[in-house]
Amino acid sequence: MHNDSQIEAGQHTEQVSAHPQNARWFWYSILCVICWAAWALFSKFGSREIPPETMQFFFTIGTVPIGLALLAARHGKLEKSPRGITYGVLNGILSGLGGLTLFAAYHTGANTAVITVATSLYPIITVLLAVLILHERLGLRQVLGLVFAGISIVIFSL
Amino acid sequence: MHLAPWLLYSIITVVAWGIVGLLQKLSTNNISAESSLIWLVVGFIAMEPFVYSGAAMFRYSAWNLTWALLSGTLNALGAWALFAALKSGGKASIVAPLTALYPLVVILLVPFVLHESITRLQIAGIFCALISVLLLSA
Repeated sequence: MHNDSQIEAGQHTEQVSAHPQNARWFWYSILCVICWAAWALFSKFGSREIPPETMQFFFTIGTVPIGLALLAARHGKLEKSPRGITYGVLNGILSGLGGLTLFAAYHTGANTAVITVATSLYPIITVLLAVLILHERLGLRQVLGLVFAGISIVIFSL
Repeated sequence: MHLAPWLLYSIITVVAWGIVGLLQKLSTNNISAESSLIWLVVGFIAMEPFVYSGAAMFRYSAWNLTWALLSGTLNALGAWALFAALKSGGKASIVAPLTALYPLVVILLVPFVLHESITRLQIAGIFCALISVLLLSA
């Protein structure tokens, strides 16, 4: 999963290649897609037998090596912003809660493709909260995105 | 209105992750994206006591426990790859919709690896959802 802030946070440095296939960013993006597709499928594989709480427990253990690798790459140095840290930890707790219910959805045995697509609709909430809390304005593209999300949710609930 | 359990769980996931999207934005206003990812893992760890269900957790098959572990590693690795793509000069307007297409890979693989069937109505819903994700990510 990703979001606008992660996107904004990375907007700098090297030049963009004219041919995407020759650019490092393109292959990193492909790696991201492969990892997240595999994450969804492996989550389903495990959830067929394992209940959501246990899935979440082992999922977290699986994330630790990446967290440690990032920490090592930064030589253990982290910014000391209490606000940034608080939001970061809250992100983990809420991501974990979302992960728990995702595992629960997979555990019901319902269609994997439908669940994966339905849960990828989370930007609708981010967009709505950005309007309500950050007073951001919606563009036509976002409005259309919300309309299509609404239609899909209605279809899924039929 | 009766909601199927899978849909109810999925809606909770959407709401939780949607709030994360906003908090991540607020977090990276104060710390780097990498630090934010590290603290996200700390948040995951903080939840561990609440999902720990004792030694019975280890009675499940080794394969399924491996899938659970790998799902965590790949999720975090995917988030790192997204950061790396953006730091390598990828434009957010291209990288975001591109990486948001991971469900499409799942849709294509599910019939082969899980042998699940899908109704026409569900295909219509998936189609609308994918358009929505693309529009909202761009």
